[in-house]
Amino acid sequence: MSDTGQIRFRAATEEPPATRWTLIGLAFAGLAILVFAPLIAVFVEALAEGAIEAVRSLASPDARDAIRLTLTIAAISVPLNALFGVAAAWFITKFDFRGKAFLITLIDLPFSVSPVVAGLCIVLMFGANSAIGGWLVAQGYPIVFAMPGIILATMFVTFPFVARELIPVMIEQGRAEEEAALTLGASGWRVFWTVTLPNIRWALLYGVLLCNARAMGEFGAVAVVSGKIRGETATIPTTIEMLYQEYLSVAAFSLAAVLTLLALLTLLLKTLLELRHADQLAANHRH
Amino acid sequence: MHIEIDEISKAFGTTAALHPVSLSIPSGALVALLGPSGSGKTTLLRILGGLEFPTSGRVLFDGQDATGLTVQERRAGFVFQSYALFRHMTVFENIAYGLNARPRATRPTKAEIARRVTKLLELIQLPDIGARYPSQLSGGQRQRVALARALAIEPRMLLLDEPFGALDAKVRKELRQGLRDIHDTTGLTTVFVTHDQEEAMELADLVVVMSMGRIEQIGKPADIRARPATPFVKEFITA
Amino acid sequence: MSKPLIHRSPMPGLGLSMGITLTMLSLVVLLPIGALLLKGANYGLAGIWETVNRERVWSALFLSFRLSLFAALFNLIFGVMLAWVLVRYRFPGRRILDAAVDLPFALPTAVAGISLTALYAPNGAFGSLAAEIGWKIAYTQWGIFIALVFVGLPFVTRTVQPVVEEIEREVEEASATLGASRMHTIRHVILPMLMPAALTGFALALARAVGEYGSVIFIAGNIPLVTEIAPLLIIIQLEEFNYDAAAAIGIAMLLISFAMLLVINLIQVWSRRRIGYV
Repeated sequence: MSDTGQIRFRAATEEPPATRWTLIGLAFAGLAILVFAPLIAVFVEALAEGAIEAVRSLASPDARDAIRLTLTIAAISVPLNALFGVAAAWFITKFDFRGKAFLITLIDLPFSVSPVVAGLCIVLMFGANSAIGGWLVAQGYPIVFAMPGIILATMFVTFPFVARELIPVMIEQGRAEEEAALTLGASGWRVFWTVTLPNIRWALLYGVLLCNARAMGEFGAVAVVSGKIRGETATIPTTIEMLYQEYLSVAAFSLAAVLTLLALLTLLLKTLLELRHADQLAANHRH
Repeated sequence: MHIEIDEISKAFGTTAALHPVSLSIPSGALVALLGPSGSGKTTLLRILGGLEFPTSGRVLFDGQDATGLTVQERRAGFVFQSYALFRHMTVFENIAYGLNARPRATRPTKAEIARRVTKLLELIQLPDIGARYPSQLSGGQRQRVALARALAIEPRMLLLDEPFGALDAKVRKELRQGLRDIHDTTGLTTVFVTHDQEEAMELADLVVVMSMGRIEQIGKPADIRARPATPFVKEFITA
Repeated sequence: MSKPLIHRSPMPGLGLSMGITLTMLSLVVLLPIGALLLKGANYGLAGIWETVNRERVWSALFLSFRLSLFAALFNLIFGVMLAWVLVRYRFPGRRILDAAVDLPFALPTAVAGISLTALYAPNGAFGSLAAEIGWKIAYTQWGIFIALVFVGLPFVTRTVQPVVEEIEREVEEASATLGASRMHTIRHVILPMLMPAALTGFALALARAVGEYGSVIFIAGNIPLVTEIAPLLIIIQLEEFNYDAAAAIGIAMLLISFAMLLVINLIQVWSRRRIGYV
């Protein structure tokens, strides 16, 4: 005869504890080596000669110019992409037209193009020896090796972020609320500001957050189009490369630490949004 | 197979899902566990199937203590409320699953498995759907496939959780007779859970009325109708 | 009867939203890609072939693709395991692990590049350990592999996680009541259900790795024929103002990307047809 108190039960849908803890251990070990170690290494290297040296290197003209340029680039390209994302999501979710799936594929395209190829495309389109680029240079508006090219390259690689986040959310929310507002006599803009925007604000913020993180950190595409001219077209990531190749390790890693803090802040805000407003975000993310 | 439930209780944390209940199910009977949601009927069924474990008490199969048997060892044919068919497998593969999962030594040959699956498809009167996927079936067809899958392992008993719950009224009536026929053909001890008193009364040999984790009354449908033992039973069966 | 191009709708803002969408899409994405394709057309297939068909280019393309494949395979296995652990198990630190999976998306590639190099260089924390057993990581193909694992890490986990969440317990229980051991259930029921999502994540990680530049060039060493990746070759050609050659390699890479995009879509169509969900 057995007494149930002495039998060790395991639910049918569970792995044995040994398996479970082995898998958890592997997850920790894998992420410790692959993710946490590089994260810590940035700060260790930045502080290798003390905090004062790290801060001093951030105050150098090169670093200050790079930070100013990166902030400017983000301040221009992120709002433009947000505008595109809202317009594209509105067009795609509020109207029915042929070729919608194809349009979505085109919007997603930058995710599957190498950043270097993206930069190359912009150089070929607007470079000094292309038809358009040559004409613009002659008018005194160079695109490549100048700020407009960097903005274009940044917009290219971050192009789908906002639209991708908004489209599933707006599909799920449907058109009924907007239609109700229209029957009540609201104008188009009024419907957008008072009905649609409040419903999509967290998803919009989420998309903008990811877009901004990528915009400030983009390296490959910007490296191709910027020419990396010190004090003029060197962004934070390209300046990091230059400093690193000049063996100015502390200076390179101090700037890298700034971007790492930005990445951590982005992740923190993203996690908070996911916790607080999960119901108003796209359920499935394709990055 | 004769099933004996001996003072089984079950607590989830501090809430008691089952107060000690005892029940004897004679071999070959068709028994309904009837009650509203939260009455403990599904918990009791899952304990019989080995999907849930009692906090105290014993389960005996043909007089042998089965409390400690794993779900695999119990060989209970279980039909889930959602049917839980494997969506990535054809109907044939679904039904053959339990036979293919056996260790090599006791696994039937491929030809034998095919023969048995074909027979089961005939038993549920759907001989031509072996190559289809569950997403291509109607609700009633899915229920019958789930039943065939459970029967394929040559179970010692048949346990069904709200087997007609997800079906519309017309299909429900048809399939009730289907279950009765299969029970009569196989002679398996069969326990099903339902909240529908009409269904329990019409189909079962023995009805167990449950409420709040307790058994209110056990009896033949006619007896329960004629002599409800408690005010709860009286209200529930006339509702 | 043919469908109208655009259905009539009471919604306002058709002209404005369509105008902004199509103008910006054309200006930022389509025209530049068109410029690359046009350049390739002018250069001609023979010219492209002549450029690509050189040992240095072939070896760079092959290196990029081969190491990306290995890295994506590693991420396929690790990513599925990670998704399972994060969804199914409860343990202290789970939330932090979950958030950490996204770090490779958020961390700029150049930062990842110099940081991984610092770790795996012969005098770095991991590199010096490896050096003791005579294993050189940074400035070899191992270094490239590690950088590509880093950038591809989130894809499989993030595509598989929602699918694990959606698996009904009853399906696993059904398998157990039919006599299947836990291992059998995992192999024959759970993994097949995760497969379409896992393959999608795998293809995304692969596509990302093939085009990756920033996190790789620092750790790669960039020795021609040995550790020189395809995107770097484009940059080298551009720095020599060799636009035709750069375009030829760029088109080769673009074709690889499109092929993988096609594969991803085919996987999704196939899985939707077969089991009714992705």
